[in-house]
Amino acid sequence: MNNQNRFVIYENDDQFDFDQNDKKINIKFNRIAFIFFIFFVISIIYSIHLIHLGSRGFNSENSDQNKIYNKLKRADIVDRNGNFLAKTVSSIDIGINPVEIIDQKKLLLNLGIIFPNKDYQLIKSKFDNNKFFWFEKKISDANYEKLMLLGDKSIKPEEKLTRVYPQKNLFSHIIGQIDDDNNGISGLEKSLDEKLKKNKDIIQLTLDKNIQFLIREELLKYNQIFDTKGSAAILMDVNNGEIISLVSVPDFDPNLRENITDVNYINRATKGVYEFGSVFKTFTMAAAFNEKIFEPESEFINLPKSITCAGFPISEYNKDIPSNLTLEQILVRSGNIGSVRIGQKIGEEKFRSFLQKIGITGSINFDIEEVGVPIKFNWGKCPLATASFGHGITTTLLQVVKAYSIITNGGYDVNPTLIKNDEVVEKKRILDDNVTKKILPILRKIVSTKDGTAKLANVDGYEIGGKTGTANKIIDGTYSNKKVNTFVSIFPTSKPKFVLAVMLDESQNNENYIYEYRDGSNFKLKGSPRNTAGWTTVEVAGHIIDKIGPILATKYNEIN
Amino acid sequence: MTKLLIFGLMLSLIISTSLIKTSTRDLDEQIYSIQENLLFLEDRFKDSKLEFDYLSSSEKLLEYQKLYFENALIKKTLSDLKILKVTDNGITTDELKIIGNK
Repeated sequence: MNNQNRFVIYENDDQFDFDQNDKKINIKFNRIAFIFFIFFVISIIYSIHLIHLGSRGFNSENSDQNKIYNKLKRADIVDRNGNFLAKTVSSIDIGINPVEIIDQKKLLLNLGIIFPNKDYQLIKSKFDNNKFFWFEKKISDANYEKLMLLGDKSIKPEEKLTRVYPQKNLFSHIIGQIDDDNNGISGLEKSLDEKLKKNKDIIQLTLDKNIQFLIREELLKYNQIFDTKGSAAILMDVNNGEIISLVSVPDFDPNLRENITDVNYINRATKGVYEFGSVFKTFTMAAAFNEKIFEPESEFINLPKSITCAGFPISEYNKDIPSNLTLEQILVRSGNIGSVRIGQKIGEEKFRSFLQKIGITGSINFDIEEVGVPIKFNWGKCPLATASFGHGITTTLLQVVKAYSIITNGGYDVNPTLIKNDEVVEKKRILDDNVTKKILPILRKIVSTKDGTAKLANVDGYEIGGKTGTANKIIDGTYSNKKVNTFVSIFPTSKPKFVLAVMLDESQNNENYIYEYRDGSNFKLKGSPRNTAGWTTVEVAGHIIDKIGPILATKYNEIN
Repeated sequence: MTKLLIFGLMLSLIISTSLIKTSTRDLDEQIYSIQENLLFLEDRFKDSKLEFDYLSSSEKLLEYQKLYFENALIKKTLSDLKILKVTDNGITTDELKIIGNK
């Protein structure tokens, strides 16, 4: 019994040993498992890091260089073909701290080899002053490398950022300027200030540098010929509102950072508010077609040569104009009385609403802040009569361009824009489709027939249509004999694509200028017979289309 | 046997961790260097393009025309421009008209 018990005890003793070993193994396993877990976590962290490194995009903002200059950096602006219009470039200025010069003679000798044209007597005296000074500004990369190879720690390079406008005056009114603190103060530099600072991607505009150049050249040339105070032109795609060119002269070089205070430097295309005269007759006619009041063939009988409204006379400019005129003839011959009659038939409310709809009255929402607001028009019986032929009512050239686009593109609303946007915007029709169909043949006749006022712009091959407008300028509250001559052209009239508006501010007759008729007769006329749009602005527009037409026909058309 | 397996697993984890770490560091260096090179090249490209834009601007081209090709370059009208069509039957030319959308 005792032996048996003893045996059991031994047996239990073994069991105890085994349990102890088992526990030790468990402890070791737990430790290993813990270490395993730690390694596993580390490997997971590195794997995630690796995946992150492999998948992350290129982020230029993380680089030290950009962090330093982030405050001064602005996005570049390019035209529709990728040509730089505004660009931020870095330049290196070299300063010297004479206190840190190791060997003055050696340094002067080396500097003399790299920059041979500098006055080294003066520089030596600056060395002797022991004060930091700027040795050379905006040095080339090659000279910078040579200087760094000298290994003199007294040479202190400093990188600076500068905004440059490589096209100089060409886009001054559109791009605008920045101040010394990198804040936009005019044009797109101002309106897109935040975007240009935050977003480093290039901003592409709808403008075409070459077309802008050609139009500006013609305006400058004819400003001299007709001795104008200034002029403006806008070329726009009637279907999507993309502005291909917007010029206003005089202009300025934004690189010079001048403080422009002369009002003559106003942006005449967007900021200047003018009476445009007979250009408005197209709106009167379009309103009549939109309201289905008249057809182009509708005829007015026995129109007087002069009427009075509130004691003020309204008369025909051309006394030879017939008394019986169809609507088409009224627009082609630019009849004032006929336009008044049409306006009266439309009525104040409808005409007012039509002008509002096509964006003539009220302010326009545009990409730059330099936009004029039409003078408030006090409607009434007589104001309706005068507005019908474009007298007394004001707007901007940009708004005229927008309105002509809507009237000739099938009645679709368009918003003029300078910024390229490839997103397809759904078109909204705001006018009756027939307005375009009825108005285009009339606009074409104004240019193509002998009765029309814009024969000088009948450039072969472009099917140009358009309307002239001659208005007297209001100076100090009264009408002066100074003129604002405008011509708004649409081409090709078979399928309108472009609207080109040209405006000459205070143009004069030129007795020596030779007009060449475009009717195939080779007839030439010396001297301007009258200071009207037909003899000034139309001639300019014709020459502009002559120059830009082949580019538009090849670059802006689909060739099947 | 189990112990061996565990130690083998541990060893492989240690090796793979160090390998991953090394390759991560190498990749990081490579990415940094490529980024810096790209920035430099991008700047060089933009500067060269700026120069090209300036030298090929309309203003400059007209200057060159006056200097070198005054009589060689003449203005073309729309009727001078034709659309060249190459077909199986030969080459034909069509009148260029300013119509259509783009």
